[in-house]
Amino acid sequence: MATQDIQSNERLVEKLAQKTAEVHVLKHIALNINSTLDLDQIYDLVLGTMDEFFGFRHSIILLLEDSDTLRVVASHGHENQPLGGTVPVGTGVIGTVAKRRRLMRVNNLRPQRAYFSTIRRRMEEAGRASELGKIVPVPGLPDAESQIAIPLMIKDRLIGVFSVESREQRTFSDDDEALATIVANLAASAIQNARLYRLVEERRSELAEAHDHLKQLNETLEDRVSARTRELEQTNRELRETQVQLVQSGKMASLGMLAAGIAHEINTPIGAIHSNADVERRAIGVIRDVLQDPAFPEKLRDQPRLKHTFKIFDDINRVTLEATERVIKVIQSLKSFARLDEPELELVNLHEGLDSTLTLINHLTKDRIEVVRNYGELPKVQCYASQINQVFVNLLTNAAQAIKETGTITITTHQDGACAVIEVADTGGGIKPEHLDRIFDPGFTTKGVSVGLGLGLSITYRIIENHRGSIDVRSELGKGTILTVRLPMAPPRSYLAEDQTVTVPLG
Amino acid sequence: MGAVELPDQIKPVMQNGIPAIVVTCSADGIPNTTIISQVYYVDKTHIALSFQFFNKTIRNVRENPQACVALNDLEGNAKWILDVQYDHSETEGPIFDEMDMQIEAIASATGMSGIFRLRAADIYRVRSFKKVSFSPASLQGVTHGDTGYTKQRASG
Ligand SMILES: Nc1ncnc2c1ncn2[C@@H]1O[C@H](COP(=O)(O)OP(=O)(O)OP(=O)(O)O)[C@@H](O)[C@H]1O
Ligand SMILES: [Mg+2]
Repeated sequence: MATQDIQSNERLVEKLAQKTAEVHVLKHIALNINSTLDLDQIYDLVLGTMDEFFGFRHSIILLLEDSDTLRVVASHGHENQPLGGTVPVGTGVIGTVAKRRRLMRVNNLRPQRAYFSTIRRRMEEAGRASELGKIVPVPGLPDAESQIAIPLMIKDRLIGVFSVESREQRTFSDDDEALATIVANLAASAIQNARLYRLVEERRSELAEAHDHLKQLNETLEDRVSARTRELEQTNRELRETQVQLVQSGKMASLGMLAAGIAHEINTPIGAIHSNADVERRAIGVIRDVLQDPAFPEKLRDQPRLKHTFKIFDDINRVTLEATERVIKVIQSLKSFARLDEPELELVNLHEGLDSTLTLINHLTKDRIEVVRNYGELPKVQCYASQINQVFVNLLTNAAQAIKETGTITITTHQDGACAVIEVADTGGGIKPEHLDRIFDPGFTTKGVSVGLGLGLSITYRIIENHRGSIDVRSELGKGTILTVRLPMAPPRSYLAEDQTVTVPLG
Repeated sequence: MGAVELPDQIKPVMQNGIPAIVVTCSADGIPNTTIISQVYYVDKTHIALSFQFFNKTIRNVRENPQACVALNDLEGNAKWILDVQYDHSETEGPIFDEMDMQIEAIASATGMSGIFRLRAADIYRVRSFKKVSFSPASLQGVTHGDTGYTKQRASG
């Protein structure tokens, strides 16, 4: 009895020593596994320590790659490196452990496999091969006898499998299983930590990169947006101007050509008449000289009838010359109104321009419209006279046309700082509020095609814009309209010089 | 009374991978011998056999619960003869899972998932056991004739 007690005591002491050693090793693993975030170091530590202290010679760690594949990420004690090999979830010991998330200890793998293989062969021999599936090679020892496979779990989530194998039957005891389970749990959390850390690092640098990129993008975007906006605004302006010009030139081209044709047609015969009258005048001078010859009988020379005839010739010639000169001037002004000549920038007395315009449109106002000239103090203004005259023609024509029967047109001028202000007020029908926005649009007219082209105000607008001036409209339906033009006394020369393409139609 | 308890030594024999022989008997006394890949240790008084196919063994024990299991211990050149009684079938729970998992693990790797599938874990109570030693030569003599032994003991 005593010997038995001693024996069992010895066994207990031995067991205690072994357990203490195990605890030390586990502590070693636990301490070191958390001091690194390097996955390879973690694998080495786990697999190496298991071999060194517990004699687990052959071990592998597999991680879940996707929902149905495990990949070997670390192996220890295998001659034929299983590293990188894959195991389908649900296949073999490891795959089944992964599928069921349950530890599995097998003690007699070889005979079990042999038994299954025998059945397989028999079925093949019996012609039932079609019922069989593929033989799937699994990484690890090809001739393993015992195996413990432990799912690596983080909470309820499988991340991989830890597997230990041996070529001997029943290598692994309950103690081994418990030990391997502890190590597997340690490994699982260390692996997860390392992977999370790596992920966080990756994300962090990705984020930083993305952030930088975004910042850059934002900056260039802002620049580009404002540049683009400027471009668009510019394009828009250009487009509008081009549109005005297109409509104008389209409608004006024919008028201009007509004017040019008429001018040419009249110019030639008038030129002939003018020079003939001149020739006549000189011819009569010659006759007069001849008559002064002493050889010419005095009685004939002093005949009153001859003197009277000479006087008639002189008068007719003078009138003809004056008349043709006047016609030539009219044609010249016709040409300049039709932009047949290049306009000249000059100092212009606007009141004179207004007066001559009023004379030109006299036929529209005569007998029914009273024109009030409310002229203030106004120095000469630097501008293109023919264009500004065209503005006056347009405004005064509109005013006259707005007055159906009788009424008043009041022209008020004054200087306001660096600007000359010209106001044309009429007591006509006024403009409908919904039309106010559109009266400067090219082609907008309420007058019917035969009366108006709807171009007067759009051309006016362009001319005033060209002079860096402005035009405003105020109108009350049934009461009348006031158009106010402001012109700089001396607009920037460079501006005016570069843009002189305004087409000015006949009044 | 003291129920019969299996010793721990029998565990390695159960797991040595050598197919075991199971002998059953129909209700009208016709015996049947079959070979089974593994006998599972449940606890000191129970073992489990896998029910994978409908075969005579399954049919027999449901008619006549008495059965005899012979385990081969190669190292000691011994046979363990277990006199057992079919108790019940389990289709879930830890024993079923354990057995099912083992079968699935091996079957899936050998392309036989479709063939080997655990239908139930048949739980047997151990009524008695006996370790019989043989000389290697006499091992050859183990024949189906042994089944008579179970038959005799079945009523005992
Ligand atoms: N003084 C005004 N009183 C009332 N309506 C006016 C006046 N001036 C312009 N309008 C309105 O604005 C429209 C556009 O004027 P705009 O001078 O551009 O063209 P129009 O006079 O119709 O034709 P065009 O001048 O080409 O002969 C006119 O049709 C008219 O409806
Ligand atoms: Mg008009």
